[in-house]
Amino acid sequence: MNAPLPSTEASASAAPRGGYLGVVGVSKQFGGLQALNDCSFKVTHRQITCLVGPNGAGKTTVFNVITGFLRPETGSVTFRGQLLTGMPSRRIVDLGICRSFQNLRLFTELTVLDNVTVYLPSRTDENPFRPVLRPWRSIVEQRRRNEAGRAMLAEVGLADRANDFVRNLSYGEQKLLCIGRLLASGAELLLLDEPASGLSAEALDSMLALVLQLKEKGKTFLVVEHNTGIVRRLADQVVFLHQGHVLAEGDPEAIIADPALADIYFGGAL
Amino acid sequence: MNFLLSYLIIAEIYALAAMSTNLLIGVTGIFSIAQGAIFGIGAYIVAIATLNDALPFPLAMLLAMVLCSLVNVAMALPSLRISGDYFVVTSLGMQFVLTAAFTNLTGITGGASGLPGVPPPVLFGIELDDSQSFIPLATLALVAGMICYWLVMRGPFGRLINAIREDELAVSAAGKNVLMAKVGVAALSGVYVGVAGGLYATFISFIDPSSCDIAASFLLLTMFVVGGARTLAGCLIGPALLMALPQILAVMPIPSAAAGPLRQIIYGALLIAFMLFRPQGIAGQKL
Repeated sequence: MNAPLPSTEASASAAPRGGYLGVVGVSKQFGGLQALNDCSFKVTHRQITCLVGPNGAGKTTVFNVITGFLRPETGSVTFRGQLLTGMPSRRIVDLGICRSFQNLRLFTELTVLDNVTVYLPSRTDENPFRPVLRPWRSIVEQRRRNEAGRAMLAEVGLADRANDFVRNLSYGEQKLLCIGRLLASGAELLLLDEPASGLSAEALDSMLALVLQLKEKGKTFLVVEHNTGIVRRLADQVVFLHQGHVLAEGDPEAIIADPALADIYFGGAL
Repeated sequence: MNFLLSYLIIAEIYALAAMSTNLLIGVTGIFSIAQGAIFGIGAYIVAIATLNDALPFPLAMLLAMVLCSLVNVAMALPSLRISGDYFVVTSLGMQFVLTAAFTNLTGITGGASGLPGVPPPVLFGIELDDSQSFIPLATLALVAGMICYWLVMRGPFGRLINAIREDELAVSAAGKNVLMAKVGVAALSGVYVGVAGGLYATFISFIDPSSCDIAASFLLLTMFVVGGARTLAGCLIGPALLMALPQILAVMPIPSAAAGPLRQIIYGALLIAFMLFRPQGIAGQKL
């Protein structure tokens, strides 16, 4: 009922040690293509984990498996000790995991504010008769949701664009709005699919600053990122994925410096 | 006077149907062309219930609202899982099935010759048997429908279904139950078109399959396209303009046998012209 305002100060003690998000032995096949092959890695609470690897390594498939959009053939995903595999995707959002999309998927014909309010959790917004049967409550609820939405927009620096249509935003602003949407969902683990791609230097700086700032406020991130420069600035942990399998996991500098991995990543070009 | 009043009543009734079409197609993006058939279900239920004195008018209307809602949901449930374009085909099939039912269940629906002599509505002991007495009822229904539409669009559900039209996947990534929301829209839209059908049958005092066949579905679609998507003004303008057309043709010096086909041609031409030159309709938003 009372849509909980996402508390950014998540309770750190609730996370079992080392097992905040665990992907264990996950395999997923599309026809003849082995998208994920015995893929295992961990995401640590209140850290930024970057998922890197060449194109087609299965990074987005990992997102789809974690968020319940895809069901793996084998393996499991656990979050805070709870098994996610087989759970409907909305339950997974309720538990506190929300993902963004590489191609943004914003509601371009809606206002910036509405893009955010739709992501606010609610148990009543799927009921078409509620606005008719309890008009006053519905109006009050929408007002409260608008306020909550504005607070999210302020957090990502889009407060003054609340009533603009998304199609009128710059690409950088649209990407910030994607983060705003994720915050609105109340999730504490945010899955970002290439948040930095296509951004100008200036927009990139504000994006990275925002992500680091949200980490300070208690959010955990799993980020798909190609650019090693950005990985250096962002990552606490790096997971290197190749042909659906995790080749290396750990300290960013060590992984970026590993010549064997660089060879795979750049296809032998370096 | 009566001529103008009966035009207004019919336009008001179709405005309710236009809101139904708008909820489905305009707001949520569920492209249904079975709206005429659902309108027919509402009309037949009220006609049959009041003809046989089985139910008083208000209860017959209530039954029409509930059943139209259920039929719309029943149609929606299996087919909303499939993506947009396929729903058009499913709803077309539904339209044909229901038209066939209206035409061939002669014992219940009177078959192709329809059900004449549907009694006028009786409310608080007053028989609304002419345009002057019927128009308050039609107007009241329309105003109530508009208020509800406005409330739904303003509230969280309205935002949600708008978002579903824009990007279904992004809505499910927010943890929302897209299927439930779509079923909800189908239910709500069924209520609107059921009311419209019921009022239509009792006002015209006659219902036959030709009022709810595929041409009727296209008429509802044309109203929606001409008026414009999503706005209340569009829901009023489309029916007001298209319902004026038969009246204008009736006073034109053309043989009455030609008026029907000519009307269809004009409806078709309007549909094409608007899609080409003004897809947002007269008072609507981008489709």
